[in-house]
Amino acid sequence: MASPAYPQPNATSINAQLLDGWRRGELMLQHCGECKAVIFFPRELCPRCWSTNLAWKRSSGRGRIVSFARVYKHVTAPFADEAPTILAEIELADGGAMMARVATGEPASIASGMQVELVPMPEAARYPLPTFRPVAAKT
Amino acid sequence: MLSRDIGIIGYGAAAYDKKPRQTIFGYLGEAARAALASAGIRKDEVNGIAVDATNLAPDTAVTTAEYFGLSVSWAYRSTAAGAGPLISVANAVRAVAAGDADYVLCVGGGAQDVAAFKKRIAQFTSAIADYLVPHGYGGPPGLFAIIQRKHMGLYGTTREQLGRIAVDLRANARLNDAALLRGPMTLDDYLNAPLIAEPLRLYDCVMPCSGAEAVIVGPLDRVPRGKGVRVLSARERHNHPVGEIAPVRGGWELFRDALFEEAGYSHRDMNFVQLYDDFPIMAAIQLEDLGFCKKGEVGAFLDQHRLTHDGSFPLNTGGGQLSCGQAGGSAGLIGLAEATRQLRGEGARRQVKNAQRGVVSGFGMISYGHGLSSSALILEKA
Repeated sequence: MASPAYPQPNATSINAQLLDGWRRGELMLQHCGECKAVIFFPRELCPRCWSTNLAWKRSSGRGRIVSFARVYKHVTAPFADEAPTILAEIELADGGAMMARVATGEPASIASGMQVELVPMPEAARYPLPTFRPVAAKT
Repeated sequence: MLSRDIGIIGYGAAAYDKKPRQTIFGYLGEAARAALASAGIRKDEVNGIAVDATNLAPDTAVTTAEYFGLSVSWAYRSTAAGAGPLISVANAVRAVAAGDADYVLCVGGGAQDVAAFKKRIAQFTSAIADYLVPHGYGGPPGLFAIIQRKHMGLYGTTREQLGRIAVDLRANARLNDAALLRGPMTLDDYLNAPLIAEPLRLYDCVMPCSGAEAVIVGPLDRVPRGKGVRVLSARERHNHPVGEIAPVRGGWELFRDALFEEAGYSHRDMNFVQLYDDFPIMAAIQLEDLGFCKKGEVGAFLDQHRLTHDGSFPLNTGGGQLSCGQAGGSAGLIGLAEATRQLRGEGARRQVKNAQRGVVSGFGMISYGHGLSSSALILEKA
């Protein structure tokens, strides 16, 4: 699948685990070994207790949309072609929260409270950062 | 406690443009000249400078002094974007009171076309560049849409209620020849405008533009009675609430009691309010956090009030950023300049009757999930 020319995050010494994990279709998050905080975005020290005893752990990638924007006007070309896109605040089931895209062919169906999961491989490779999709309704 | 003898003695602006007609220094200089004339002081008397400018890098407050041929004993540049200029002014009052400078030029502005604006918001902070832009965040409207949707869901706030802010501010702007957006706006216009980042539509979103605002801080006895403005109290807060995504509060709630207590006045004593209105939802949150109504009740508050200069709750009496445009670093000063105009009785067709006191607030430094900085001043005619 050809990947659109999305803007890419800068690769830094601290976000390599996040970016490498997503290349495998996995969401990797930092956990503080002292205060147990789940940290996003990646840092050298825990923003809650300043411990540097941090470990990367794989998240289930299951979560819930807390709130979201249905973005019609973009500042970067590839997104404009796909508008409206979804930018959501996501609370992860096994700890942590982040803002991320929810990929969907039916943007009008997205609602707060909706359950989401990671976009699986090989589609995952299309997106520069961990990206979610609605959990399919059970049939 | 701020000195009661030092305050704002002049104000001025550069004409705003949808497309820049000069460099950032041209805009800052135009505003500075107007502020100097308003204060009635000579350029050579200015020996302090505070700059809040967009796209100024690699330049600084000191190179701005170089450009303007000023030798200064105090130079300051804030780090808080739209919340910064009010902090600069409070610090200028402190600097003059301490004897570090006699007269301080506080100036903010921006010179940006649409391409420059898009480039800037894609690199606004490293967290935005690395963790939001790759998702297609849509610029600030993407973030504020998430906040507004949350506020609507938690408290039942409606777009009709928030529209009161955009519509009444436009009515104020129609009495301000300096506002870039002066066409009539009805609530239907607001509700049915093109979608930007749902639930936000076009008239929810401030228009980037070019321009500048300036004030002069100095001894109040330098200007005639009624032409000075005393800063009764000032507060700031940054990175609150820590680590929270899309909060429906912004920090003003932490300092509002101290702000009013130090000023010695209550909310009822305020004759007008000038809020940082990049988006109606953020102006609404400021009304709650500053204590003009309880958290979650701003919808009913907006139902009950007219926000025009002659209404029950005069708000952003020059039309605010929503109608004047957001000229980068001038956005954090436009409310203070308008407050100064009102307190000096120079509001002309939009003058608030018997304006003695008011509140001005700032907001900015958008990063991962929210604007990180809040500020506010209480002002009084001197």
